[in-house]
Amino acid sequence: MAFTEKEKELIDRLQDAVVNYKVDEAKKAAQDAVDAGVNAYTMTMEGLAGGMAVVSEKFDSHEYFVPETLLCAKALYAALDILKPRIKVKEGEVKGQVVLGVLQGDVHDLGKNLIKAVFEAAGWTVHDLGRDVPLQKFVEEQIRTDSDIVMLSALMTTSMVGMKRVIPMIKEKNPNVKIMIGGAPITEKTVEEFGADSTADNAPNALQEAIRMVDVLKKGEMASA
Amino acid sequence: MATKDEMSGLERIATALQQKEPDRVPVAPLVCGASHRVYGITYGEWSRCTNIDAMVRGHVEAIKLLGHDGVVALVDLSVEADAFGCEVIFPEFDTAHPNYDSPFIKGPDEYGKIKKVNPRKTQRMKGVIDMVAGLSREIGETHAIVGFVYGSLGTLSMMRGPENFFMDLMEHPDEVMEALQIMDDVLAEYAVAQAEAGDHAVCYDNLYASQSILSKELWEKFEGESQKKVCDAIHNAGALVLFHNCGNGIYFDMCEKWGSPIGISHAYVSDDVDSWAEHKAKWGGKIATIGWIPPGPVAMLGTPEEIEEECKAEIEIFAKGGGFILSTGCEFGPNAPLWNSRLIVDAAKKYGVYK
Repeated sequence: MAFTEKEKELIDRLQDAVVNYKVDEAKKAAQDAVDAGVNAYTMTMEGLAGGMAVVSEKFDSHEYFVPETLLCAKALYAALDILKPRIKVKEGEVKGQVVLGVLQGDVHDLGKNLIKAVFEAAGWTVHDLGRDVPLQKFVEEQIRTDSDIVMLSALMTTSMVGMKRVIPMIKEKNPNVKIMIGGAPITEKTVEEFGADSTADNAPNALQEAIRMVDVLKKGEMASA
Repeated sequence: MATKDEMSGLERIATALQQKEPDRVPVAPLVCGASHRVYGITYGEWSRCTNIDAMVRGHVEAIKLLGHDGVVALVDLSVEADAFGCEVIFPEFDTAHPNYDSPFIKGPDEYGKIKKVNPRKTQRMKGVIDMVAGLSREIGETHAIVGFVYGSLGTLSMMRGPENFFMDLMEHPDEVMEALQIMDDVLAEYAVAQAEAGDHAVCYDNLYASQSILSKELWEKFEGESQKKVCDAIHNAGALVLFHNCGNGIYFDMCEKWGSPIGISHAYVSDDVDSWAEHKAKWGGKIATIGWIPPGPVAMLGTPEEIEEECKAEIEIFAKGGGFILSTGCEFGPNAPLWNSRLIVDAAKKYGVYK
């Protein structure tokens, strides 16, 4: 995709601000983008999501760790708050919707919040239920929003068992919805055991997995149309 | 082939920690909160540390039922934060935790709220000390009793909320450091009190000393000296130092430098190796491994066959030469099938006999 010189400059500034966790720079670059009238969606995807992709690589290579990644997300959100109201979503460009939350009894939401930041930067609509979420709430929110994916998070073994109960509750109401589970005790074996569809060990991988699952859903819809 | 035990659990664990081969591989599947179910009190009541007799009896009866060699006096990771004034929520059937909707430290300008407290007088710290004393009286001659202290970084993160705390490490380091230095003395005193109550060892949880959370440099900057202060106090009180760290890519070199533990309870390998076999080769003769059965997929959800298979595999890699205690990589799930813990013990007896 070809960008104008101005667009490229702004994309570079946004990426740099996210990668180097400079909140003020991120806000300034976002405001400059709005003032310049450039496409806010492009700035979000290329600048913010692009920057977060670099952050993810640094996290994977152990150059960045949790504090750095959180600060990068802080810069991202500072810019996203300015750009988001200006995003005009073209028909067919909505990536997907997810319901996201931490299981009842569990209050560890750091991983969940990182996923939210990455997904929102990538243009997804995230319905964040927060932490210590009663099981029925996941069911109700999926129905209310008709989200493609429900993402369940738990750090503790005491709360992860709730996943095994809530997944059939969700699937009973909507057999087509995809369920992704995550958290420290979750493995591929747990996915199979609990009847989920997938897991991912970090936010960028979760996004890739979500894109794949939505593609599968859309192909299924087209096949049956 | 299983044979009759020739050593007590205490002798077995002590031998293994000294890098020698006991009669068989010791086994201690971190049955902590799960013990409340053996004596029939709710998890909420157990967590409040108001019924010490029941807590002691729960552990003692759990040992009779399950057959493990030692006990860790972990209640949960909010005990220390609670003592410093953090509001804690006690679900009846789940682990107690801080009220993150109303954290004790609401902003970086509130780290000055951290004040010294007396661990021998605050409710739950005193409860743990009293529980250790009770366990020492009941089983201290035959089973290993290990006290527990959540490290300064972890405790402070509970009081601020982990997300904000991690950012404060980078954005408000001076404020964090001042608070940590106040906490150090209290945590050291808490560890000493447990040792005086009859612990054979005290386990210091340095969860953030791993690639899962902090860079090595940042961890060392904030917790290195703090950890050493607590560990020195434990050594001076005559107890052994153990660590617990269930993060991935643990900084074993930092553990060695800033605490000299005789063993580490862990779920993943050190950051400087790529496999368990490598870990055994590099660290096995220096720092005993206590672990590493996955508590979720195996200890909680595994079939009996899967549990036995995992235990057998771990024993095959780690048992030779001693320096290994079969355990779960983190606390045995308080709501996990208790009998799975017995299967772990049985596997140690079946596959862990030293010939």
